[in-house]
Amino acid sequence: MFTFAELCELIRIVSETRVGGLEVERDGMRVHIDGVPAAPVLEARGGAPLLPPQLAVPGQLSGNPIALPGGASAPAPAAPATPAEEEGLSFVTSPIVGTFYVAPSPDSEPYVKPGDHVSKGQVLCIVEAMKLMNEIEADVSGVVVRRYPENAQPVEFGERLFAVRAT
Amino acid sequence: MISKVLIANRGEIALRIIAACREAGVATVAVHSEADRDSLHVRMADDSVCIGPAYANASYLNITAVIAAAEISGADAIHPGYGFLAENAHFAEIVQECGLVWIGPPPEAIRAMGDKANARRTVSARGVPVLPGSSEPLSSRDDAVALAEEIGYPVILKASAGGGGRGMRVARDVRELRHVFETARSEAEKAFGVGDVYLEKYLTSPRHIEVQVMADGKGRVLAVGERECSIQRRHQKLIEEAPSPVVDAELRERMCTAATDAAAAVGYVSAGTVEFLYDRGEFYFMEMNTRIQVEHPVTEWVTGMDLVMEQLRIANGNALSIRKRPRIVGHAIEFRINAEDPDTFAPSPGEITELALPFGPGVRVDTHIYRGYRIPPYYDSLIAKLIVHGADRRAAIDRARGALRMFLIGGVRTSIALHQRILEEADFLEGNLSTSFMDRFGARE
Repeated sequence: MFTFAELCELIRIVSETRVGGLEVERDGMRVHIDGVPAAPVLEARGGAPLLPPQLAVPGQLSGNPIALPGGASAPAPAAPATPAEEEGLSFVTSPIVGTFYVAPSPDSEPYVKPGDHVSKGQVLCIVEAMKLMNEIEADVSGVVVRRYPENAQPVEFGERLFAVRAT
Repeated sequence: MISKVLIANRGEIALRIIAACREAGVATVAVHSEADRDSLHVRMADDSVCIGPAYANASYLNITAVIAAAEISGADAIHPGYGFLAENAHFAEIVQECGLVWIGPPPEAIRAMGDKANARRTVSARGVPVLPGSSEPLSSRDDAVALAEEIGYPVILKASAGGGGRGMRVARDVRELRHVFETARSEAEKAFGVGDVYLEKYLTSPRHIEVQVMADGKGRVLAVGERECSIQRRHQKLIEEAPSPVVDAELRERMCTAATDAAAAVGYVSAGTVEFLYDRGEFYFMEMNTRIQVEHPVTEWVTGMDLVMEQLRIANGNALSIRKRPRIVGHAIEFRINAEDPDTFAPSPGEITELALPFGPGVRVDTHIYRGYRIPPYYDSLIAKLIVHGADRRAAIDRARGALRMFLIGGVRTSIALHQRILEEADFLEGNLSTSFMDRFGARE
């Protein structure tokens, strides 16, 4: 786990050095911070910047969703990533807030793994909200490049679940 | 004990609740739509969860999403604020069934008061005065006409499921009543899913006076004083004040007793408001709002109470912090600052490019805007509430003039200029208020 102070420090470093981004992993928790070069900074009434660089903590919420004070809530589904990395990728986002599951039951195989080929309409995962299991389908055919959340992790509305390279 | 409150709302009331929770040492969860990602309530809460797209039906009104947000964030209580799901009995029930604490009245009380015809019948049975009219939904046009002949025109048809100024039609004679009866029924059916309408005597120029009630579920139901909210436009309140310039000690006693009787009739708990129409020395029950209200700060100021904190105390199973009706000190007035054109009242969403807030003794501003904030076009146009307090009404008005002058909002049109004009009206200054005040005001422009 990263402490709150550590997260703030990381954001400060990204902000001050104006690097494109930063990814740190510890104890199974990975934090990814995207820097926004020359982003307009809104002044708070006290003169302190209200908006730090946009934060992205893709799929790495621990017990609770993380909202950093003075900052955008994490994750920011619309967070701009480097264009080269995202070119040709299609993102499956969560249509509801809830809990993400890779498989229909704890003993089952995951619906899909990175590297799998999926067809449009194929079930990729489940997002559970109020005991209702909502099957999330692929909206394009292609290869699963990346899965963002961990199994049984909370996801927000609009949060990225999978990246698919359309074929 | 509540340890983490999810606030199922946005804007200034979300911030107001976050402030109370922080003071009480309770953690907070903000929920927000995609359009509110940069909202202050999201930044100020301990945690936040995006629950849906901009459209409120899919986010702030989405019960499943709100409950799921409470589950994934570990919240153990939900405060609904006002509007959105605040008076949705079904939602309150689900919150409780999910093992969460509902910071509001019992679902049965919300339901009993939400059906306006039922509310009228229930409080009337307890001796609370109601306007002459029907106690049951009207089954036919002929029944409506017969009743109108008995009580005299003008009359008003109201949707049982309506409230807050919605689902109402006025008829000045039998021809109009025959004409609007079916329209009112089908409108009610369309808007609320229930076509029931009832009829009441229509007062052309009454005053809107309401009583704040607090009940702790331990047998204590207190009326903490009245507010006058007669300055309205299209049934939307613009200026509210406490105490009412027309209420004397004797009338206050009668109104407060009626309000506590009404609340007790439905087993009320938490903060609520009993609304009355006042005309020529008499007052009549209109409806009860089963939630905290936009205008609660004026009551807070003249009583010294923190009503949101009292809601938290009550939800935690504690008794009210006071035993009897508090003494009213001075006079407080609230001005609703909306992002709208002061002349045409058309909404004015956009970016706040400049902001200076008034301050000084007797000035309070509840707001969620900041410089650079973009007011989304999807929600209510209320962007700030200016509340002033003075030793008496005259002093409060003088203070309001200064504060409105100091209140600078750039980038969008606001109702500040309209408030300044209202403060120059002789009728307002003399306390000659009525719900038709703004009609006359508009006509004079």
